[in-house]
Amino acid sequence: MLMRDLLQTASKGVTVNRGRSLLTMLGIIIGVGAVVLMTSVGRSMEGVILGQISVLGPDTVAVFPGNQGPEGGNSALRPDFDSLTFADADTLAQLDTVTDVAPVVFVSGNARYGTEESDPRIVGSLPGYYENQTVEAALGRLHDESDERTARSVVVIGSDIAEDLFLNQSPLDKRIEIANKKYTVIGVLKPVGTQFFQNADERIIIPFSTAIAVTHRTYADMIVLKAQGDLDLVLADVTSLLRQRHGIIPPMDGGTENDDFLIRSAAQAQEILGTVSLGLTLFITMIAGISLIVGGIGIMNIMLVSVTERTREIGLRKAVGARRRDILLQFLIESVFLTFIGGVIGVGIGLGLDYVLATAVGKYLDNYTFEVSIGAIVLALAMAAATGIAFGIYPARKAADLNPIEALQYE
Amino acid sequence: MSTPKHIPLIETKKLCKSYFNDDLETPVLFDIDLVIERGEFVAIMGPSGSGKSTLMHILGFLDHHTKGQFLFQGEPATKMDEDTLAKIRATRVSFVFQAFNLLPRTTVFQNVLLPLLYHPTIPAAEREGRVQRAIEAVGLSERSTYLSNQLSGGQKQRVAIARALVTQPEVIFADEPTGNLDSASGTHVMAALQALHRAGHTIILVTHEQSTAEHAERILKIYDGKITDDLRSFKRRHAKDGITIEK
Ligand SMILES: Nc1ncnc2c1ncn2[C@@H]1O[C@H](COP(=O)(O)OP(=O)(O)O)[C@@H](O)[C@H]1O
Ligand SMILES: [Mg+2]
Repeated sequence: MLMRDLLQTASKGVTVNRGRSLLTMLGIIIGVGAVVLMTSVGRSMEGVILGQISVLGPDTVAVFPGNQGPEGGNSALRPDFDSLTFADADTLAQLDTVTDVAPVVFVSGNARYGTEESDPRIVGSLPGYYENQTVEAALGRLHDESDERTARSVVVIGSDIAEDLFLNQSPLDKRIEIANKKYTVIGVLKPVGTQFFQNADERIIIPFSTAIAVTHRTYADMIVLKAQGDLDLVLADVTSLLRQRHGIIPPMDGGTENDDFLIRSAAQAQEILGTVSLGLTLFITMIAGISLIVGGIGIMNIMLVSVTERTREIGLRKAVGARRRDILLQFLIESVFLTFIGGVIGVGIGLGLDYVLATAVGKYLDNYTFEVSIGAIVLALAMAAATGIAFGIYPARKAADLNPIEALQYE
Repeated sequence: MSTPKHIPLIETKKLCKSYFNDDLETPVLFDIDLVIERGEFVAIMGPSGSGKSTLMHILGFLDHHTKGQFLFQGEPATKMDEDTLAKIRATRVSFVFQAFNLLPRTTVFQNVLLPLLYHPTIPAAEREGRVQRAIEAVGLSERSTYLSNQLSGGQKQRVAIARALVTQPEVIFADEPTGNLDSASGTHVMAALQALHRAGHTIILVTHEQSTAEHAERILKIYDGKITDDLRSFKRRHAKDGITIEK
């Protein structure tokens, strides 16, 4: 039988019962749709993750008090635990493997200007913070040593805060109120988007000395710094310095469970986020795989029903000269048609959903863009076709092995 | 013309057939000796259950015998592999069944086309013309786009005959072709078979009715799996245009 005739015969077999064919394809549609959607989401998320730290740079390091990292650590050391002194920050600044060391004290409270109100993250830090976080002034100036010395009530505000509080007016020299205290706006930061899934444009920065004056804090909530050279060596330096200053003896294996601080670098964060997204992708791919298998079993089931229903037709085809392989190919092509068409529909739906998702999420997450992976589409379609072959072979063999006369007399 | 090396179209020697279900053997045909020449119109006649269809299926390569010999143009069928059998079914024999066996929800044209899809040598370009001529030969030209379920029984059987002749096979087997038809339709079908015979095809007709068998030139009587008579049909009937004319 000519390939053209085989394809025609098989396509008739699929289209003669359109509703049933579509239902049969459902599992494949879902499986392939999920593969396409999730690989696209994975790629988009990668863009987002890179975007989260691209402004900071991978060598940005933050030291936190307490010891409650993802590894668990010493449960006595809560995140709100105070252990990082200002002197720790000063001593860290002496290390020649780090630059831009800046202790941070958080100030709580809303920001108000007239009737407008906003809920910022208020950071009290030294001028080194700006370099460390790679932020620049879009308007006005950043605060300097003289602001620090005199603990001036001045603020540098993020671009979103500027928009919230001042709409179209210039924020410069306006007086805003934070926790019943007035501050003069001296600068507005350039927008940087989200960092670690927080909107970095919703922050307000005040001089470190001013923050200490209003909070009466004697410990830092965070110390930020930039690593110079090999990141692992720098992290080791910082760790041993802080252990020495805090009189901490690490366990024999060098583990961190005795530490009263926690060091995180942007590179580590990227790695963790990358691992999470890889895990998610693998998980979804597994679900998609299971869905393809279930879909394949559905196809096999329907093909077996179809072979039984069409036993007389198969007998007739054999009686007029069909060879074993003609029947085998006819039914195999039919099941591949089912899975392949299901795959194409699945790709369409997956891309459609991905586009909708990208449009929706893109509004909230910078760097989340609609990513079409041709490789993933080809892979998904190939997997669909392979499912058709794998689950179509048994029914097709059953059809091909029918004895012509028994098939013709089947009731 | 007979030469010492004459090879008949179909020859069986002590051919036996048993069906096996589990370990139970049902012998159906016993020591069938028979010779059918090219161009003959033979009726195999006998009561229901006597083994007519079984014999026809063996002679038409749809089933295997279990003992003895079956030679087709001198070639023993037992030596043929599956592909060879399929090729013979595609090119040299064809069937008309009592139950019509048309493809459901399929047009007359597509039904008649079916054997050509499996024919190894007829080129695709010739298909349409052949199908149209076959449909015309059975008088269904205006019905060629009808679906098989939109036809009467007699029309269905004529479609089956068109399907049987479209490959121009040497032998056409017909198993009770009038069994499901009223007498007028049956006469039409027998006229078509006689026309095919005149055109040079070998026709092997299976029937349990004397009156139907009389359309053939030769009647083989079969009873309980054995051939009991092999007769010339002296009172040959001629079915023509709805009228049965006796010669
Ligand atoms: N597949 C089968 N298995 C067992 N016995 C069968 C089978 N097919 C037919 N027979 C038996 O073989 C005998 C001959 O059947 P068949 O050739 O169909 O007779 P006819 O066509 O003359 O009516 C019957 O007794 C029938 O029951
Ligand atoms: Mg019978």
